[in-house]
Amino acid sequence: MSGKGVLRSVKNYAKGYSDIQIKVREATSNDSWGPSGTLMNEIANATHNPQDFLEIMDMIDKRLNDKGKNWRHVFKALTVLDYCLHVGSENVVLYAKENAYVVKTLREFQHIDDGGRDVGGNVRQKAKDISSLLMDDARLKEERSSRTQMRDRMAGVDNI
Amino acid sequence: MSYLSSDKAEAELAQSIKKATSPDETAPKQKHIRRCIVYTWDHHSSALIWSGLKVQPILADEVQTFKALIMVHKILKDGHPVVLKDGLRETAWIETCSRSVAGDGSRGYGSLIRNYVELLLHKLNYHRQHPEFNGTFEYEEYISLKNIDDPNEGYETISDLMSLQDRIDSFQKRVFAHFRPSSNNECRIAALVPLVEESYGIYKFITSMLRAMHRRTDAVDALSELRARYNSQHYALLRFYYECSNLRYLTSLISVPKLPQDPPSLIDSDTPSLP
Repeated sequence: MSGKGVLRSVKNYAKGYSDIQIKVREATSNDSWGPSGTLMNEIANATHNPQDFLEIMDMIDKRLNDKGKNWRHVFKALTVLDYCLHVGSENVVLYAKENAYVVKTLREFQHIDDGGRDVGGNVRQKAKDISSLLMDDARLKEERSSRTQMRDRMAGVDNI
Repeated sequence: MSYLSSDKAEAELAQSIKKATSPDETAPKQKHIRRCIVYTWDHHSSALIWSGLKVQPILADEVQTFKALIMVHKILKDGHPVVLKDGLRETAWIETCSRSVAGDGSRGYGSLIRNYVELLLHKLNYHRQHPEFNGTFEYEEYISLKNIDDPNEGYETISDLMSLQDRIDSFQKRVFAHFRPSSNNECRIAALVPLVEESYGIYKFITSMLRAMHRRTDAVDALSELRARYNSQHYALLRFYYECSNLRYLTSLISVPKLPQDPPSLIDSDTPSLP
């Protein structure tokens, strides 16, 4: 475990985060690699549990409102949100629609890192994608059902 | 969605307002404006933002005044619908902004400020008369349906909306005319960002609404005046977006819409829909 990883686990302990919140924090950390599929899948599954759902959304919300220096938090929180919109519970969709402004206002996210590189572009693009998905009910429905179908097929293979 | 206690949220809001309207001649930072916009949705109110703007010594400095107007424009546009209602009550304050600078001011923001105030008041007035619109003029099906049932009202709506579009066009021309070779013009360019977004929203709305009206009414002649006006606005927008696409700072913030060279047909429904 790297230094940052240690620090994160200390913070998890000190702030008394729940297991699922720790998972969300890990998925949306400042590490330079993306959240793993298994981890996102666990989070998406947990959205079916009402208690976990609130904790997940609360943590994603915190990450989405993070400052520019932590643009990876924002970007990965959008990634996780996108994933949960596709395979998470229906509540995620309702919640995201109600709070669409949080994502919408990220379409103008700006941050130039220490090397003078514009790293906000990723966030802006992702925010644009998600907001247009949220406004298009038909597409969202279709994408959700095709994901479920794929899952069922995969599960079928697994059983054989 | 707010997880902060209200005291803390208020303190943060005051901080954001202060930072967004700082005296430096730069673009107001989006993160501060975003915090204000998110606040209006979280709390369904913008009263604190207006009072926050008033306690800042904004009117003493032309750059601060200009940045405050950019911020007002953005919260009217992207904030909770209640901001529009509150904004209508604050027109007196917005007007005082235009009286704060004498002549062109020492840094050349005088006439920009006066024109921006005019534009904002015009926008607010439009929303007063057409309360069914949101700040961004997003195309909503039910509005266009509602207005085709009453073609006269639809005609009015579109013609008023076109006047607003003309105002935006003349203001953007003035912004371009006030660029100074000696500066990076970021503060002025920042004002173009909401203008590009708003003009495109209006353009999309007018296009869909005119198409719907053409489908429903047989009186193609009666709409010829609107068609002519639509076409000339199309070319004006095309020029505006072309000029914007040459501003590197602006294109790094938003993607400037690309319009076809010629205005799309309003009568033929086969023409592709807008992106």
